[in-house]
Order: sequence, then C-alpha cells, then structure tokens
Amino acid sequence: MAVNYDDIKIGDPIPSYTNGPITRTHLVRYAGASGDFNPLHHDETFAKMVGLDSVIAHGMLIMGIAGEAITAWVENKYLRKIYVRFLSMTEPVDWNNVENTKNRATITVSGKVVKKYEENGEKRIQCNIVAKDALGSRKLDGFFIVALPD
Amino acid sequence: MADRSKVGMEFPAYTMTVEKNKIAEFAMAVALKEEKEGINPIYYDEASAKKAGYQGITVPPTFTTSFFFWTGEGLPEIVKALGIDMNRLLHSEEEYEYYGSIYEGDTITRKMKVVEMYERGKRERFGRFVEVTILETEIINQRGELVVKVRTAMMER
Repeated sequence: MAVNYDDIKIGDPIPSYTNGPITRTHLVRYAGASGDFNPLHHDETFAKMVGLDSVIAHGMLIMGIAGEAITAWVENKYLRKIYVRFLSMTEPVDWNNVENTKNRATITVSGKVVKKYEENGEKRIQCNIVAKDALGSRKLDGFFIVALPD
Repeated sequence: MADRSKVGMEFPAYTMTVEKNKIAEFAMAVALKEEKEGINPIYYDEASAKKAGYQGITVPPTFTTSFFFWTGEGLPEIVKALGIDMNRLLHSEEEYEYYGSIYEGDTITRKMKVVEMYERGKRERFGRFVEVTILETEIINQRGELVVKVRTAMMER
C-alpha cells in the first residue's frame, strides 16, 4: 500500500479514517501520556464550574487522531508538516446514554490532495484535512505535507 | 489578560529524554487503544522500526506536544509567565514542521519563545473578542539538530 508521487492526482481523496467513540478513560490515558492535566479534560466538577456540560477532549487528542489518520496512509518518516485549527469541542460518550452520545464522540478524518510540487529536492504533496464527529460537526481542519518516493 | 510586554520573551530551555514506554503510551493514547498490539510496531519494537527504515523506535507525529507538558512546570508555568487566564484559555492552532525524526533515547531540548500577541474581533462584541498569543518552539536533539519546529496559537475568550 505504498503511496507513490507519480500515482497521486490533485483532488484525490485520502483514505477516510474513523475512531471512537472517545470515552473519559481515553481522555485520562491521553492526559497521562501527554502530560496535559488541565482538569477540563477529566474533572466533571471543574468543567461544570467553567460553564460546560461535560469534560471535553484535548484538542491535541483530536490532532493526534488526525496524525494517526495521516500515518495510516503515508509513513511517519515522510511527514514534513501538519497544521491544524481547532474548531469545536468534543464531549466523550456517556456510558449511561451511549445511543444518544456515541456520535458526538466518534471522529472521522478525511481530506484530499490539493498540491503537488518539488521542494528541497523532494517530491511533495499537500493535502487538506478535516476531522468531524458522526453528527457532522467540524472539530479541526488544516493541511499536511508529505514527501513521497516516485 | 495576556501581558503584551512578553512578546519576544524566551522561556528557559528545558531538556528531557525520550523514554521507550512513554512513546508506546502516547501512541496507544492517540490510537484509542488499550494495548500495544493495537498500534504501529514502529512505536514500540526496535526491529520493526529498523525494518521500516527508522534508526530506532520513533514517535507519533504529535508526540512533540509532550515536551511542553513534561518539562519545566508545563502549561501552568507558561500561562503564569504570560499573564493568561487559564479559565479562558483555548488552544486554537498547532503546527509542526518536521526536519528530522525523534527516536527513543534522544535527549530533546525545547526552546520556546513568544513571537506575537494580538487582539482579534471587537472588544464591545461579547464572545467575539479574543486575545491571541503565538509561541514558537524549536525541538533540538542531542546532536544539536533541529528536528521539529512548532507554532502554537492560544487564545483567551
């Protein structure tokens, strides 16, 4: 499944990647892994105190999921740049109301090739990406650049 | 409110070693997996990483974020130094530019500075006015090589 520069056309979609639903346990795991212990991401009492209904996922966890989506398609070592804007908050699934909350916590990353060019002696492509939940709400968007073999 | 006089300020350079288990933990976290077997073996198995063309076990693309939190006093130190209200803080943009790979056992130094602070929107329109702080960070390995350049935008609502 190696991706080659010559086979890529502008407008080609990147393989869509879905993961989730994100649980509070995933948030705790990410907090420990990254070191981001902002209580907004694990302490319901704090989240409510600042006006939210629930804890929310780290924006960087959603970017991490986008990183997984990208590296599921092209190898990590070919990455040259990733840029994202965070657009909305993500609430985890509630175990006592899975049916009504799983979609808000399920993330799909998609995108397409927008540019092919040579730089630093490498053949590079730029792709737009967007991460949405299963309700269609946009979590982040941005782009990435990878250098590909012929 | 962010203190504008801090534009140009450099934070102390902090150093940490990239630990094998911390890489696997991070890779599992972003993959939403409970065990190593669910993730790409380049993040925990040296032989697989070498076979895939890496010098050793490497890190997921956003692993760099952990250098902010696991060195110095992490985010609290950053917001305190800049006069940012943590309760109004939102992470608005993140960019990584990769110049090389990071491997297990690397000793990484982060050098971060404040490059911009500005207001966006009108002060009188509640909810539309934000103050933006842009940080740039160089991630440098033990050989002095710049491996990742980071640009982070934070805003106060």
